[in-house]
Amino acid sequence: MAIRDTYARQSLGKNLSGLVAKSKVLMVGAGGIGCELLKNLVLMNFGEIHVVDLDTIDLSNLNRQFLFRNEHIKQSKAIVAQKVASRFNPSVVIKAYHGNIKDSQFSKAWFRQFDIVFNALDNMDARRYVNTVCIALDIPLVESGTTGFRGQASVIKKGITPCYDCTERETPKSFPVCTIRSTPSQPIHCIVWAKSYLFTEIFGEGSDDVKELDYEADENDKDELDDIKKETAALQKIRKSIGTDSFAELLFQKVFTSDIETLGSIKERWSKQRPAPQPLDYQGLNADKSKSGAEEASQDQKTWTVKECFAVLQDSIRRLTDRAVSKKESLDFDKDDEDTLDFVAAAANLRSYIFGIDPKSKFDIKQMAGNIIPAIATTNAIIAGACVLQAFKVLSQEYKQAKQLAMFQSTDRMMLSHFEGPNPKCQTCSVLRTSAMIKKEATLQDLVSALQSTLGYEDLSLLANSQVLFETDDEDFEDMLPKTLIELELTSFITVQTDGKEDLVLTIEEASDADMNPVSLTSITIPDKKPEAPLAIEQPNGHTNGQSNGTSHRKRAASGDLPARPAVRVKTNDDAVIIDDEPVAVDDGPIVID
Amino acid sequence: MSLCQNRLNEERKQWRKDHPFGFVAKPARLPTGAMDLKKWECAVPGKEKTIWADGLFKLEVTFPDEYPTKPPKCRFMPALFHPNVYPSGTVCLSILNEEEGWKPAITIKEILLGIQELLNEPNIESPAQAEAYQLFKKDKVAYERKVKAVVKENPTP
Repeated sequence: MAIRDTYARQSLGKNLSGLVAKSKVLMVGAGGIGCELLKNLVLMNFGEIHVVDLDTIDLSNLNRQFLFRNEHIKQSKAIVAQKVASRFNPSVVIKAYHGNIKDSQFSKAWFRQFDIVFNALDNMDARRYVNTVCIALDIPLVESGTTGFRGQASVIKKGITPCYDCTERETPKSFPVCTIRSTPSQPIHCIVWAKSYLFTEIFGEGSDDVKELDYEADENDKDELDDIKKETAALQKIRKSIGTDSFAELLFQKVFTSDIETLGSIKERWSKQRPAPQPLDYQGLNADKSKSGAEEASQDQKTWTVKECFAVLQDSIRRLTDRAVSKKESLDFDKDDEDTLDFVAAAANLRSYIFGIDPKSKFDIKQMAGNIIPAIATTNAIIAGACVLQAFKVLSQEYKQAKQLAMFQSTDRMMLSHFEGPNPKCQTCSVLRTSAMIKKEATLQDLVSALQSTLGYEDLSLLANSQVLFETDDEDFEDMLPKTLIELELTSFITVQTDGKEDLVLTIEEASDADMNPVSLTSITIPDKKPEAPLAIEQPNGHTNGQSNGTSHRKRAASGDLPARPAVRVKTNDDAVIIDDEPVAVDDGPIVID
Repeated sequence: MSLCQNRLNEERKQWRKDHPFGFVAKPARLPTGAMDLKKWECAVPGKEKTIWADGLFKLEVTFPDEYPTKPPKCRFMPALFHPNVYPSGTVCLSILNEEEGWKPAITIKEILLGIQELLNEPNIESPAQAEAYQLFKKDKVAYERKVKAVVKENPTP
């Protein structure tokens, strides 16, 4: 027996250390938190650990994902993490999968083998998916996330604690296209304009395949951008002049002079509060050669003046043109590509000057344009540690102790925690669920018949992925019935609705048993629907799980990186910290981990 | 997601039960045959006794995952000659703007009625296309002539 087992036994007790050694866990994501967490799990002697990650290692990961080294760049995160962490403790079994957790290879049956699932993810979509699967199969999930100095770790256990969908999440901000195009009022509007419109239009992909171009849907309205293209055929013409001497001038005159004059001429749009934009003069700016674009471009902490922006713009256009014309490169904006960043920073600032908006330094613009969320190794390490503590509570079935843990920058307390139950209105964990085992050849008709006979429903409608698949009284759906569920891609969840009864969500699982019916359902009693307003309209912040929504409601990071809003509300009244829901003395210790 | 789904299905049922005369609103069909609740094919008739009367204008209404927290997008197909309709066909209306008048309680019926209202009462504060805007401001006669031509192209069946 290795010495590390002795220590684990001494610190956890015989019972818990035995449970840990016998446990089989899944870790989704082997990035910032994942690397730390895998190390912790291995050193704590967790019996078997499966790691899934679809990503490969990038240079920019190495400052915080300590299982990875330079020579691992471009290799699978999951596989490298497994190889490296296996050496820490030979008695632990690690299995790695380079793939997307949503792939069909990770079936419901596969999920069922785990005692705990750890989410160490960086996006809302995958988090939501794993959350739903864990709720449907009733597997405890340890959910975690960090943003800068803030972090969070909580246990999601069906019916006991809130799930990921119990709290309404702020979705990434999108900007109305009129704001970007005609009435910017903040630096970000000009940055989005420079990056997603101007840059793409001039140096991006050819206009033929523009429809397919991903305009980062979280920031822009794609269709509208397509239309801007239609409207700005003039810009296309200018694009054709790329490489000629007059290119930079034509471009400048168009976007910073004549377009602005046109906008300014619509008098109704402008007022005292919103003064009309002031066009820039190319000739005047070009006459002054005192600024060197290349030199100014290196001053990334400084806020450039109009002249400096102009110089940087000219210089970056020269560099980009060179790449686009002589090297035939198709250019995409990349925050780490200096040429593209210089162009966007200079153009955004010029537009800011035109609209009387405060300009920003190149450094700031890089963060805003690149959607950079600071990732801090120590925050990840602390949160990964907290995840393991949470896992201990799961293994010893002490769910009431599995509080929501939030960490943030504060001088008084670093961690706050409280216990909270699920949101009774949650559409994921507070709905009725059951499993439906299906054979490969099962058709929609088989499912409908099984539902009718098992549940006694006559009229029903079936929904999935915001599609209506079937409705009894509507002959439009007749042709759907002979199709197989697999053909219809109905292999995850289907909602069954009928008048007067509560909705039921079916977890579709494929079965191999040759003897069974095409569809076999677990019998379940469906309670009557609670009386509701005719249109169930929920306000965005209408949840009432014992927590009011006040002004201190924390805004979530755009990427959804911080998964759950810190459950405890904190008011800062100058020097005192008051915790709303549970009176706690202000000075009872710097760090409290319950 | 499922809040979006449930609300849209509820909207669909309400619409089937009762809807204003002359209006059309129906979720689109996918190649599989399923109904896509997030994309509706709609049509708004011009109001009687206005220059838009006897016209029926087709719209595509698309709902984001965050609906009803976020508003749907309404787009005339084909694009419509109107000061508040972008060249793409997208309608610029305060109740459809998340930062202005959108409220999760607004129903599809109210949206379509709002668009019908907008047809004859353009909002000159927020022009969305140059052609209709300029004509409306400078030459009402020519504007009305053009609208009547548009109505002829999109007659009520």
